[in-house]
Amino acid sequence: MRAVTSEAGPRPRHRKPRAGTMRDRPTLRERLTRWRPAIVGWWHFAAEHLLMLPLGAAIALLWVNTAPESYYRITGAVDFFVRDVAMVLFFGLIMKEVVEAAAPGGVLHPWRRAALPLVAATGLTLIPLALFVAVVPWLDEPRVIEGWPAVFATDLAFGYFVARAIFGRHPAVPFFLLLAIGANALGLLALAAAATAPTFDLPTGVFLMVAALTLAWTTRQLRVRSPWPYLLGAGGLSWCALYFAGLEPAFALVPVLPFVPHAARDRGFFVDAPATARDPLSRFETWARHPTQVVLLLFGVVAAGVPFRALDWGTLGLPAAVLAKPLGLVVGVGLARAMGLALPDRVHWREVAVVGCIAAIGFTVALFFATAAVGPGPTLSELKTGALLSVCGAVAAVVMAAALRVGRFHA
Amino acid sequence: MRRALSVLVVAGLATGLLDAGQSAALLPNAAGSLKFAVIGDNGTGKSPQFDVAAQMARVHQFFPFELVLMLGDNFYGSQGPADLESKFARPYRPLLDAGVTFQAALGNHDDIATIHYPPIHMDGRRYYSYARGNVRFVVLDTNVLDAPQLAWAKATLQQAAEPWKIAYFHHPLYGNAGRHGSNVDLRVLLEPVLLEYGVQVVFSGHDHVYERLKPQRGVHYFIAGSGGQLRKGDLQLSDTSAVGFDQDQAFMLVEVVGNELYFQTVSRSGVTVDSGVIRRQTARIGS
Repeated sequence: MRAVTSEAGPRPRHRKPRAGTMRDRPTLRERLTRWRPAIVGWWHFAAEHLLMLPLGAAIALLWVNTAPESYYRITGAVDFFVRDVAMVLFFGLIMKEVVEAAAPGGVLHPWRRAALPLVAATGLTLIPLALFVAVVPWLDEPRVIEGWPAVFATDLAFGYFVARAIFGRHPAVPFFLLLAIGANALGLLALAAAATAPTFDLPTGVFLMVAALTLAWTTRQLRVRSPWPYLLGAGGLSWCALYFAGLEPAFALVPVLPFVPHAARDRGFFVDAPATARDPLSRFETWARHPTQVVLLLFGVVAAGVPFRALDWGTLGLPAAVLAKPLGLVVGVGLARAMGLALPDRVHWREVAVVGCIAAIGFTVALFFATAAVGPGPTLSELKTGALLSVCGAVAAVVMAAALRVGRFHA
Repeated sequence: MRRALSVLVVAGLATGLLDAGQSAALLPNAAGSLKFAVIGDNGTGKSPQFDVAAQMARVHQFFPFELVLMLGDNFYGSQGPADLESKFARPYRPLLDAGVTFQAALGNHDDIATIHYPPIHMDGRRYYSYARGNVRFVVLDTNVLDAPQLAWAKATLQQAAEPWKIAYFHHPLYGNAGRHGSNVDLRVLLEPVLLEYGVQVVFSGHDHVYERLKPQRGVHYFIAGSGGQLRKGDLQLSDTSAVGFDQDQAFMLVEVVGNELYFQTVSRSGVTVDSGVIRRQTARIGS
């Protein structure tokens, strides 16, 4: 039984410490308790406004340009863990959104709705790629061409944030998301085509991937409701398969998540699952939500460190190419319409042009694709800078939206 | 202050104002020794490159080097067949006719397709190794220093039986030029390999100056990136710099005699701007 003391009980025996002594100062625990609400509030704000990766990038840029030796030694030691292991969570969450979008109520349901954006994604990516191939020789840094898969990248999360800011709940937002999914899917194929990893052992990779998919399918057939057999079992095998095949193991959950049981209806893109959700995919999201923010911060620190003195004209190759994305998208949409496909309601050519600017934001995905395609060295530094500069697509989108009077700028 | 120091160092070294023939005499020019020249950032096809090439040809008459190390940026701008002729074959025709072999590394301005250009002897490889006399040369592609290349470099250096191990590549691990300077990302990856397997001398280009660094962890680093290009006044000498020259194009001459490696750096106009000897094992340098 616990003793209960009244407030009017005897006073404690210890003497009151004098002013200015150590006892006046709050302990670390007290400080943390006092600051906890502010820290938690800031954390949620940063997560919701996608600030963790930009914060990581800012830390990296400051660090590498002031103390490069320590930056490269420390980030080099954790690079594999962050890029090839921890980033599994980020791409897993993106894939989870895609899987749910294919459920009733999602933008990918039925698949026919996705036809035009997916066809348009070819224009969105291939025309900038052609421009990249044409521009790089002019910049007199021909090796930058080896980073060509980075041209395909569109940052789904950051782009979605910008699209929502401009369009609100306009159908242009799911149109952008479908485009980004299509472009990044093509980017994955490009990465596979450009893969030059040292551990290239395709038969072992194929064998392990078949095993991973079989395990995922069997787990689903057994109606397993916990996400862990899918993530650790099938996901682990998938990671090994991609690693042995010389592909990016960070995409390990991409082929596995379609087998994971999910909610009957889509709650919408990047809408958090409620705490009461019990389906395995929602439980994965609930568990991974905050660790992924830490991963994005670390990825920003590891991937975005670019020494400014290493930059040369080749840096402009990637930004120049992604500038062509609005044009590429217009051509892609024209091609899709010529094939008899229709634009979504209320999405016209003006909205298409603005979405093209948003799709130019490669950022996280472009950093990842560039690092995956090109080994360490000055060429990679230039490509990474191009990936960081692609954030300017957000400014271009706002300016174009204002000029064309679409979204929030609609009269 | 640093700028003034740079000028002082250069003025002090150039007091002799030796012509090409005399400057070659600073090297032992011993019979049977390995003699080679070093150029970087040369492939402009413009008159300074031709001047340096002519100076090299003049020196070759007194100092018959058999090999030229090319430190990258072997070709600038367009790199079609006619460009390869005008930016390489024409300027170095006298040396090519004299049987001198060129062995190139790739720079950031080089098209990867040039690895198939026979006169620069890359034989379709981005990175490669070869031995001459008692020297093992390891040529790296620092534009993209990927894991397979690093593993290859380790294996090659580990197996090398030659007493001298010389590495050359385009981007300097240490340097004090204002435009680029040290490539710390490459240094973190590459320096442990150079140290572990006993590389004594490293040549690089990229910055369009000549600089000799004080030995860094026992390794002697040279930047010879003014074989055609020049960034005048770009050097900002620091404690790590031994000698710098950024007032004219320059190339290096090297002679390996037993346990000693002699070097001499000659400007476009034939002035010796630096010279000295590196003794193997003792890792001591004297000018």
